[in-house]
Amino acid sequence: MSDLATTTPPVRRSSGLLGFLIRRSPLAVLLVGIFLVAAIFGPWLAPHSMTDTNLSAALQGPSSTYWLGTDPLGRDVLSRLLGSAQVAAQAFLIVVLIGGVFGTALGLLAGGLGGLLDLVVSRVVEVLQGFPTILVAIVIVALFDPSLTNAMIAVGLAAIPDFARVSRSVAIQLRDREFIQAARGLGAGEIRILWSEVLPNMIGPLIVIASFDGAQAVLWEASLSFLGMGVQPPAPSFGSMLREAQGYLAIQPVFAIIVGVAVSGVILGLNLLGDAISDYLDRGGK
Amino acid sequence: MIRYLLGRVVGGLITLFCVTGLAFFATALAPGNPAAVLLGNMATPERIEAITRQLGLDQPLPIRYGIWLRETLLGNLGTSNVSFKPVADLLAAAAFPTIQLALTSLIVAVVIAIPLGLVLAQNRNRWWSRPASSLITIGISVPGFWVGLMLIVLFSVTLRLLPSAGYVPPTKDVLGNIRSLVLPVTTLAIYLIPSLVRFVRVTAISVLREDYVDTARAKGTAPAAILLRHVAPNTLVTTITYIGLQLGVLISGAVVVELIFSIPGLGRLGLNAVLNRDYPVVQGVVLMAATGYVAVNLLIDLTYALIDPRVRAR
Repeated sequence: MSDLATTTPPVRRSSGLLGFLIRRSPLAVLLVGIFLVAAIFGPWLAPHSMTDTNLSAALQGPSSTYWLGTDPLGRDVLSRLLGSAQVAAQAFLIVVLIGGVFGTALGLLAGGLGGLLDLVVSRVVEVLQGFPTILVAIVIVALFDPSLTNAMIAVGLAAIPDFARVSRSVAIQLRDREFIQAARGLGAGEIRILWSEVLPNMIGPLIVIASFDGAQAVLWEASLSFLGMGVQPPAPSFGSMLREAQGYLAIQPVFAIIVGVAVSGVILGLNLLGDAISDYLDRGGK
Repeated sequence: MIRYLLGRVVGGLITLFCVTGLAFFATALAPGNPAAVLLGNMATPERIEAITRQLGLDQPLPIRYGIWLRETLLGNLGTSNVSFKPVADLLAAAAFPTIQLALTSLIVAVVIAIPLGLVLAQNRNRWWSRPASSLITIGISVPGFWVGLMLIVLFSVTLRLLPSAGYVPPTKDVLGNIRSLVLPVTTLAIYLIPSLVRFVRVTAISVLREDYVDTARAKGTAPAAILLRHVAPNTLVTTITYIGLQLGVLISGAVVVELIFSIPGLGRLGLNAVLNRDYPVVQGVVLMAATGYVAVNLLIDLTYALIDPRVRAR
């Protein structure tokens, strides 16, 4: 991770990135591709309603009408999975936005300016890192209401240390490189240098973190919704579907298996994508 | 050494202070006057005012936080809004199942993951090294609670070998206690193992590149002996720190596992309290879990200093 910055030249367009990813990890591209299509076009692709119940068709296995079967209220599992993908994508965006904006800003300032600020930020990050996300979620949900946004704010807060750590280490490595000194010599202020010279050079490592933390966001959305602290019924979500499935494991285990495979596929795709992008940056984009 | 430990203790206290503050304000800002809740249908405006003053609720927030902190330190955590039992009693009853579940799972995970990681590092150039890594990535990606559901399908529904829910205290029936914990512990261990294996593997590979390993190899030491005598101890030191960082994951995982298998632990207590808006209990659970987290991390730092002379010398 530490040599990412030095192998990424100041200006690089990711022209061959997609080609590299397809060669390096076709499974990642496939899984993330399906996830994106489901998240964006889900409502149009869904063959049935996501929320209309039909008790006479409850807990069916896969059939030609219901490709992936039905849930305990007779709703189409495929349609609800498409809706869940959209919820997972929202979770991804909220977490990466909170973690990315606050974490990067903190790390950038701490690493770039150094001094007391760096000391304080580093200590805070060290203390916060690894703190049980579930406790933060419990406090936030107890204060406000169980909802996707509130649950994901807790997960986003937990993502701040990851972004702060990476952006800080890149900022420190770049701080005294020639092109930064040149900018300083031209009279640019420190904050301006951080914004227009240092920040663009850490986009690569930040994308890698976004991919891994995005995978974590999807996992956490499922976990918190499973616990009843996230998405509320009747809205679909991977977690709330698994919660419904738990009560019927003895009658229709296929329901739980299908939902679990779907959510695992999304998380696996994002993790593999993170690995592949990291490889791409390590090789200097070749 | 003293400075190192002092720094850790101060860091831990800061964390606790922040968390207790957060837990306090979560309750203080919550809607509803606790005095009115306490009085129930005996509430009159005069009585509410009297109790409000008696509880110190008319004071500014920082002073109330001070009062709360003092009461907490004295072990007075208040009463549940739902069951009207003292929060301290509820916590005491729920702590044992959680600690038993978390500790057993952690031990199982460590005992499996460390040798596995070392072996994978030693054989990193074999043909099966790549599929093994892919398996770890898959393990990291699969949600732990889904693994739990699948274990229920396999061992409870299909094979009818183990109970799918419930907890038997060891004081009542030792064998029943073990049987009731097999699936929860397996679930939580499977959740912890992949990332631990990956960490041990990466750390051990970097240790294998150290000069002293080359020296040992040059002396003709057998690969297995190098792994046990040189690589394993050095990997272990770093791994202990990593386990400290994973503690949050363990706590979060335990909450989910308690819910799946209906184990009456802290996680289920806290979760039900959140959904019932039972603020004193939420506060107590957050306080207890955060204190446990900080205390164990401190213990790990201490162990770290004791087994690694390089830290002690600092």
